[in-house]
Parts: sequence; structure tokens; C-alpha cells
Amino acid sequence: MNLISWASHLPMLAGGSIDGQNRPTVDEYLGVTFAGLGIVIAALALLVFIIFLFGKIFDALDGAKQRKEAQAAADKAPKTTGKPAPVKAAPSPAPAPAAAEDDDEVIAVISAVVAMMSEADGTTYRVKSVKPVQSGFGGRTAWAMDGRRSNVSPF
Amino acid sequence: MLQVLLDILSGLWETSGLCGLVDDPWKLAMIFVSFLMMYLAIVKEFEPLLLLPIAFGMFLSNLPAVLTEDMIFHAEFWNEPQSAEWFWKVLHDGGLLDKLYLGVKLQIYPCLIFLGIGTMTDFGPLIANPKSFLLGAAAQGGIFFTFLAASLMGMNAAECGSIAIIGGADGPTSIYVSSKLLENVDSNLSTGTIALAAYTYMALVPVIQPPIMRLLTTKKERAIKMPQLRTPSKTEKIIFPVAVTLVVALLVPSAAALVGMLMFGNILKESGVCDRLVDTAQNALMNIVTIFLGISVGATCTSANVVNIDFLKVLALGVVAFSLGTACGLFLAKIMNWISGGKVNPLIGSAGVSAVPMAARISQKEGAKVDPTNFLLMHAMGPNVAGVIGSAVAAGVLLSVIKY
Repeated sequence: MNLISWASHLPMLAGGSIDGQNRPTVDEYLGVTFAGLGIVIAALALLVFIIFLFGKIFDALDGAKQRKEAQAAADKAPKTTGKPAPVKAAPSPAPAPAAAEDDDEVIAVISAVVAMMSEADGTTYRVKSVKPVQSGFGGRTAWAMDGRRSNVSPF
Repeated sequence: MLQVLLDILSGLWETSGLCGLVDDPWKLAMIFVSFLMMYLAIVKEFEPLLLLPIAFGMFLSNLPAVLTEDMIFHAEFWNEPQSAEWFWKVLHDGGLLDKLYLGVKLQIYPCLIFLGIGTMTDFGPLIANPKSFLLGAAAQGGIFFTFLAASLMGMNAAECGSIAIIGGADGPTSIYVSSKLLENVDSNLSTGTIALAAYTYMALVPVIQPPIMRLLTTKKERAIKMPQLRTPSKTEKIIFPVAVTLVVALLVPSAAALVGMLMFGNILKESGVCDRLVDTAQNALMNIVTIFLGISVGATCTSANVVNIDFLKVLALGVVAFSLGTACGLFLAKIMNWISGGKVNPLIGSAGVSAVPMAARISQKEGAKVDPTNFLLMHAMGPNVAGVIGSAVAAGVLLSVIKY
């Protein structure tokens, strides 16, 4: 039993090397077990690499596209106004969250929602604080949690 | 006059099914087993869509018929070597279930089922976290270590491969491999008994996996929350089936039929331009093939095929295969958790066996038992669908290595 005899069981090297009618020898069953598992892991590891690579390429393409769009918007703005467009302040300031850590994206999203609501009903809102709710089950009420559980109960 | 009456009654008795039952009482036992399976399918809802057709097929083929032309299934046909004359005999003299069983013997049904599965599978979680592929690969350890165990029990290579593939927890793949490997081999095993064991254990995944998962993981590991996965783009989802088919077909050509059909179904779905075909593949076609597959595979479970020591070996090794597959997936997930510094919940490793989506649900359920706010389902779906690809590749390896 050696690596060469194991390798002879690799399907790429030798097709149908073990007679189905006979009981496998020690070499054969160890070869199938370890070479077989090795081939499956190697094939799927290759797929990991390929899919990972695709992911990176698409992320980079998306990033480039977004930068291009942002650049195009920035280039377009001076042509129409002659000077940099003033950044319109949100109707209501969004102070830093009291309990949560600072997160510009979260603040931007909350400000956008408040601005949308404000435009819709003409009322001016002011966000005084944003706190993560930790009571109950991860911030959900018992009823919300029960509803969620019933939805995923087969799982 | 009395003699004529007795002769008529005697003739009727000899051609009746009752006489057949007296000649082979094991048929009666098999009929009771089919009743038990019908009970499990209908009352306990254990994989009813497949278990019920299998049970009824078993019931039909074990009904005694003395006259050959009355038999709905001829078990003896399927032990003969295949040739042009043999096909003619099956088509001409075979019963209804013989003709339907040709779809299994010619490996048509498993591939069509894979087509349907492809149209129903979202590979998004796998694309978002490609490392899940490794968990799907590790769980195939159940297949190869069971091959070793079956060899040690004195079985021939074709039987070892047919039993080992049960560890892939994938019914169509088990049928595909066993129908090929057992084709021209002298064996007490049949594709029907392998399928029966595979589907039985797939139905028992919620019973087999949780104790192993709890045994091999700590409470702290089971409570690990994993970060939300990114959403792959449509282009990535379209490229994925092409890339997987290309890689698998180049490395393991024997797996090309299964993986090719799986990925064909998936690209139909992801393309978004073949809605009618997707609808047919995942509903009408899938249902028709499931009926034909179930009832014809069940028909092969005759008393001669099931009432023997080899079937007990299949059952014993089947549970070993499932358990080893679960353990291998968990071990690799633990290693990945260790390498990543505690970012991988090891429970998702057990989903690498490809019982979709049952195994992923078990991971979710076990995680939620420790922390009800921990939602592992999407993370477990990655290894779960990777397991489907992994078991098809493992099937290709077995078919490449073993001469049939």
C-alpha cells in the first residue's frame, strides 16, 4: 500500500479500477475512502475559490459602478447650478444615538425616513434619540416573537 | 360430478392469491411492512410524498399471483443481464410496474428529479458564503467511511458503493448509483432496498442528527450568532450553475448527468425568462416522476430482496453512514469556527448532509433551543445545498472507481 497504488484509484487516472463483483482489498478500500474523499474536497474547494473570485470581481464591479455614478452626479451638478449644490439638511436633525454606537449609515437612513414622512404630511419631526430596544426576546415583544416562531416552527 | 367440482375448486385455489400466500408466507409479512410504512407516511407524515408511493408499490408487488402474466412486477426480470432481448421481454411480458421501473434502471428518474430540485433551490446562501462548500464536502465523509465499513463486513465493491451512498442523504443519488452498480452484479441487494433505507433514514434525520449535534458541540458553540450574509447579484446566480457544471464535469465526468440536470434546473429558474418551464419542472414533472419512482422502487422490495441478512446490514450501515456524515460536517465546522476566532456556529456543519431542507431546519432548531433569537437557517442552507452537489460528486467518484 503506497501513494502510487492509492493514486491509481483516482478516477482521472484509472476508470473502473475496482471490480464490483469482488470484495475490495485493503489497498482498494483505503484508496477509495481517502482518495474519494480527497477528490470531493478538492473539487468543492476549487468551486470555493471560483465562486469567491466571482464574488470579489462582482463586488469590485459594483463598487466601480457606484463610484462612476457618484462621479457623474458630481460632474453634472456644477453644470446646472454653476456652483456646488448645497447639501440640503434633513428636516430634522438626527442626534447621535444615545445608547447605540455611532453609525453614519443608520443615521442617514433614519434621517431619510423622517424626511420622507415630513414631506408627506408637512409636519416637522425631530429625532431626539435612537435606542436599541433590548427588552423581551432580542428587542421583540412576546407577541412578535410568538408570531415569528409560528412562522418558522417547521424549522 | 363431485370430482369435476373438486377439480374446479382445486384449480381455482391453485391459481388464487391465497395459495401464493401459503406457498410464501413472507409475502404476508412484507404486506404488513407496507401497511406499517403507509401508517408512518399518513399518520406520522414521514416523507409522505415518497414513502406512501413506495409503501403502495411494495404492497402491490407482494400480492401473490401464481400466473406470471397476472403479475404486476416481475422481480426475476431484474436479476438478468441486460440485452436487446431482455428489453423486449420487459416491454412485452412485463407488468405495469416493470415498465415504470425501466425509468429507474435507465437512470432517467433520478436525473429528472434533480432537474426539479434545481428549479426549487436557491444557491444564494452558498454563493454568499462559498466556504460552505467545504462543509458540504466534509459531510460526504459518511459515504467514504461507510464504504470502508462495508468492505470490512465482507461485501463486494458494488454493494459497498451502493450502501455507502446512503450516507449522502440523497434519495435520487442513492437510486442512481445503486441502479448502476448493482446492474450486472450477483447480489442480494436491490435498488429498491437501498432506496428504502435511504428514504427511511432521510425521514429520520430529525431523530438521528440532534443527539450527535449536542454530543459534539458545546452550549457556547451552539449559541454563536453568525453575521448576515450578503445578497448575491443576479449575474452571479446565473454564472454559478454554469461554473459548477463545468468544474464537476471536467473533474468527475460520471457526476455530470446528476449535477448537469440540477444546474440546468437552477439556470432555468435564475434566468427569469423560462417561467413556464420552471413551473412544469418543479410541479407537474416533479410530481409525475416522484409517483413513478416511488411506486416502482417500492415494487422491488419483494420478500426475496428484503428478508435476508444483507438488508439488515444495509439498515445498520445506513445509520452509520448518516451519523458519520453528520459528525464529519460538525468537525469541519468546529475547525472553521476555531480558525475564524469563533465566528462559525458548528451546528451548520451537520447540514452538509444533503437532506434538503430538513438538515438545515435541524441546525436552526438546535441553535434556537439555546438562543431563540439565533437564526441559523440561511447559514445552514449553504452547506445543505453544497451537500447536494457534494453527494453527486461523491456518486461520480464511486461510479468512476468501481467497475459495473
